[in-house]
Amino acid sequence: MNRIAIALWNPIVSKEYRSRMRTWRSPLAMTVYILLLGGVGWAIFASTAASARNSFNGTQAANYGQVLFLWLIVFQMVLLAFITPALTAGAVSSERERQTIDLLFVTRLPAFSILWGKLLASMSFVILLLLLSVPIFSLVFLFGGIELDQVLIAFLVTAVAALTLGIIGLACSTAFKRTLPATVAAYGAAFILLAGSLLFGLLFPTNIDQNATKAPAPPAVTYLSPLLPLVVIGTNGPVNGYGVRYGNFGISQGGGMACSALPNGAQTCYATTVPIGKGAFINPPQPSGTTIPSGLFSGWQYWQATITMQLIISLAALILSALLLPPIRHLPWRRRAGVPA
Amino acid sequence: MITVEGLTKVYGSRTALDHVSFEVPDGEIFGFVGPNGAGKTTTLRILSALLEPTSGRALVDGADVTEHPDLVHERLGYMPDFFGVYDQLTAGEYLDFYASCYRQPKARRKKIADDLLELVGLTDRRDQAVDTLSRGLKQRLCLARALVHDPAVLLLDEPASGLDPRARVEMREILKELQTMGKTIVISSHILPELTELCTMIGIIDQGRMRATGPVHEVIRQLTAGRRLRITVLGQKEEAAAVLKPLAAIHEVVMVNGTIEAQYDGDDAAAAGILQTLIAAGIKVFSFSQLEGGLEDAFMKATAEDI
Repeated sequence: MNRIAIALWNPIVSKEYRSRMRTWRSPLAMTVYILLLGGVGWAIFASTAASARNSFNGTQAANYGQVLFLWLIVFQMVLLAFITPALTAGAVSSERERQTIDLLFVTRLPAFSILWGKLLASMSFVILLLLLSVPIFSLVFLFGGIELDQVLIAFLVTAVAALTLGIIGLACSTAFKRTLPATVAAYGAAFILLAGSLLFGLLFPTNIDQNATKAPAPPAVTYLSPLLPLVVIGTNGPVNGYGVRYGNFGISQGGGMACSALPNGAQTCYATTVPIGKGAFINPPQPSGTTIPSGLFSGWQYWQATITMQLIISLAALILSALLLPPIRHLPWRRRAGVPA
Repeated sequence: MITVEGLTKVYGSRTALDHVSFEVPDGEIFGFVGPNGAGKTTTLRILSALLEPTSGRALVDGADVTEHPDLVHERLGYMPDFFGVYDQLTAGEYLDFYASCYRQPKARRKKIADDLLELVGLTDRRDQAVDTLSRGLKQRLCLARALVHDPAVLLLDEPASGLDPRARVEMREILKELQTMGKTIVISSHILPELTELCTMIGIIDQGRMRATGPVHEVIRQLTAGRRLRITVLGQKEEAAAVLKPLAAIHEVVMVNGTIEAQYDGDDAAAAGILQTLIAAGIKVFSFSQLEGGLEDAFMKATAEDI
C-alpha cells in the first residue's frame, strides 16, 4: 500500500467508523438532522403552496424555488455548524480523558496520522449527512429557478465550511486537555466564522471612496462566513446594502436612489446619477452579478474567496495541531543524531 | 538492551528524577522498585519516548528515546499503570486495531490476535466487548496489546496493581512465559516478594535517585548487612543460645516463633563451624539453615537513608 493510501485509510478511520456506527447516537443524529431539514423544507413548501393557491406562473415558481433553496442551504449550514464541532472537539481530548492517547503514541502511527484519521472519520459523517440531504434539496427542482451548478457549488461551500469547522475543532481538542473547554472554544470559533465575520461587516463596513471607479464591496473578513456566498448563490444576485458605508455624507444607498438623512429623522432622496451639489456626490458604480466588485478579491466569485480563506485557515489549524499533539515535539530544524542500526 | 545515563527530569521547582543511571542487559527481567512518587513512572515514560528528559539520555536497543522515538516504539511494548479501553470494540478487534497501528500486515493480524489471546488466556473472550471485561482481564489484554508487534523490550508499569491474588499469580505466570521467550522486561511494582521471585535484576529508586541497582541477590546482600541463621533444636533452646552468644562470629541471637535466629559475620565455612560447635556441645539440632535478607529488608534499608 503506498503512502497516500496508508494516509487515507489509516487504522484510526476504521476504528472510528466501527465505534461511531455501533452506537444509537449516529442513527439518531441522522434522523434528527433529516427531520429538521425536512421540516424546514416542508414549512417553506407549505407556505409557498398557500400563497400560490390563487395564481401560479413560471416566474413565481422560479422565485419560490430560489426561496426554498436559500432557506434550506442556509439552515443546513447552521445545522452543520452545530454538529461538526461536536464531532471533532473531543477527538483528541477524549483520548486523553480516557487514558488511551499514550497507547496510540507508542505505536508506529505518526501524530499527523492520528489527527488525519480522526478528521477523516468525522468528516465522513458530515459527508454522509450532506448526502442524506440530497433528496430534500431535489424538491427545489420541482419549482425551478435554481440550476444544478448552483446546488453543487453551494454544497461545496457547505462542505469546505464544515471541514474548516472540523479542523478548528480538532485544533481546539489538541490544544485543550479537557473536552469541555475544547468544545466551548470550538463553538466560539464556529460562531465567529459564521456570524462574527458578518457582524464585522456591519460594525466596520468599507468606506466608499467617492472617486471610486468600481462598485463597493464588503470588507474581506466577511468572506470568511459561508453564509455570504450561500446567499449570493441562492439569490443569484449581487450583495447590496451590506458591509459598505457612504463616508461623511450621511447618505445611504437605496436601489437607484441616493438618500440623505434630515435632522428630524426623515430622509430626502435624489436620483442617483444626478449631481446634488456641495457635500453630495455622484453615486459610485453599483455591484452587479455574483462577483466581488472591488478590494482584495476583486473579480472573484464570493464562494471562491470564502473557500480560499477557509482552506488557508484549515491548513494553519492542521499544522498547529500536528505541532501540538506529539508528546515529544521535534521542530523540523532541530538537529538529530545519526540513526542507529 | 536498555541504557540509562544520568537521567534527570525537572518539573518547575520539583526534581522528579536526579541523575538516574542503570543498565538492563538482553533477556533480563529488571524489577523497578520504589515508593509512590519515587520516579518509576517518569522513568518508564521517558523510556517509552512519551516524556522528554531535562538532561541525560536513555537508549532502548541502541535507539535514543528523544532522537529516535519512532525506532524506540518499534522495539518496545509499553503497558502504562493506568489505561483506558475503547467502547464498542471486541477483544479481537482491539488487538487487530493496535496490530494495524504497528503496521502489521493484514494477513497476519488475525493470527497475531489469536496467538496473543491464547498467551494471556483470553481466547474465549475474543468476541466480548473490551469495556465489559474485568480489571484483571483488561490488564491481560493490555499486556497482549503491548506484544502485538513482537517487541524485544517490554516496559510494564505496575502490571499487577489492583488485581486479586489469583489474577496476580496468573499475571506472574504470563511474565515467566515471556521471560522464556527471551524478552527483556522492565517491571515496576510494589509487590516485593513477587519481584524477588520473578526478577533477575533490580533497581531501587527513591525521591528521584537510584539507591541501588544490580542482580537481585547481590543488591539484597549489599543492603542487608550480616547473614542470618535459623536453627531449630529439640528442647535445649536456652542451652543452644548460651553456646552461640559467646562465639566471636555471632552478633545477635533472638528467639522467633520457637526457633533461634542468629546473625553472624563470615562465609559458609563460618556457618558450618557454628553448626559443629552446637553439635559438639550436645545440642540436638533438628534444622539449620541460612536466612537471606529479603527484598523488603533491602528496600527499607535503601529508602530509609534520607529519613
